[in-house]
Amino acid sequence: MSAPSDAEVIGRSLGEPEAFGLIYDRHAATVLRFLGRRAGAKVAEGLVGELFRIAFERRKTFDASRASALPWLYGIGSNLLLKHRRAEARRLRASARIAAVEAPDRRASAAALDARLLFPRVAGAIEALPGDEREALLLFAWEDLSYQSMAEALELPIGTVRSRLNRARAHLRELLEPKGKGRVRSQ
Amino acid sequence: MKPVDLARKLRRDAAFEPAVLGRGKDALMAAIQQEVEPRRRPTIIPQLPYADIRAALSFLERAFGFREIPASRMEGADGVIHYAIVEFGDGVIGIGTQGAHGAISPRSGGIESQYLSVAVADVEAHYQRARAAGARIAREPRGHGADVHAYEAFDPEGHRWRFVHQRLREVPQERTPA
Repeated sequence: MSAPSDAEVIGRSLGEPEAFGLIYDRHAATVLRFLGRRAGAKVAEGLVGELFRIAFERRKTFDASRASALPWLYGIGSNLLLKHRRAEARRLRASARIAAVEAPDRRASAAALDARLLFPRVAGAIEALPGDEREALLLFAWEDLSYQSMAEALELPIGTVRSRLNRARAHLRELLEPKGKGRVRSQ
Repeated sequence: MKPVDLARKLRRDAAFEPAVLGRGKDALMAAIQQEVEPRRRPTIIPQLPYADIRAALSFLERAFGFREIPASRMEGADGVIHYAIVEFGDGVIGIGTQGAHGAISPRSGGIESQYLSVAVADVEAHYQRARAAGARIAREPRGHGADVHAYEAFDPEGHRWRFVHQRLREVPQERTPA
């Protein structure tokens, strides 16, 4: 006997609301890590309960043809994070400092210098992206979502996801390499 | 290095207390419970009379797994509880002061004029819990493990409770997603 799919569990939860607890059991840890990476532990701890409450309230609208509820939960989380942009920006800057310090320094001291300059620039470039591109980039790069999952999370056609991600890449490249200078390519 | 790979370098996990997920689950289930409550208002509520309601509530929770609905409690200024509603699965039972509405606890009346049947998922486990909490068993369960169909027990005031194996309800067809 195989475990019921998320869609089956959510379907059952329409008649037996407590069944929705299983969706939490299955995905809360993943969702919490996602929120934590984006906005830090404190914000994430506050948001994870809210996220699942919203999901519970909207469970009637879950597309039952999807096997996994996870992309849908990511989508709700992405919306919730909009209110926490400052926390996200702070965390991103902190991560840039840490990445710069931890960057492997096997070659010359010049490489370390690069890392110190590079990562804050990457953080700044991510922050400077238009919101929808930034979201697509982070779901792809940090959460390793497939195009299909991103399409479900962002409620967009898969082609739109692909082009949005391409625009994000192009923008990021521009932001990192003003006037085509190849400094960032040094690694 | 490609832009996405650079962005990936800034991915950093947050450190959480281990209790976070449990707290989130509790909050979710409480929210779910709130949504469930209004729809569950049953059309029939058995009212059981007790001489000591506080003791009865404590026993029903410990031994039988009932849960008091917090908003239902009526308590006097002297701290005496006059009434409360407990729930179990889809059912609720009123726990009232004996004498009110003419109902008498078996402890005072000396007779049981009724018994209550409660459907539970795991009769054997329920039986073990009730026994461990000191419930007086009126009828031992027969069979073993999943075969155990029912048992009966008295609460401290002599109400007789019958716990029977719950058949899983089927989800109505129109609610099942394709």
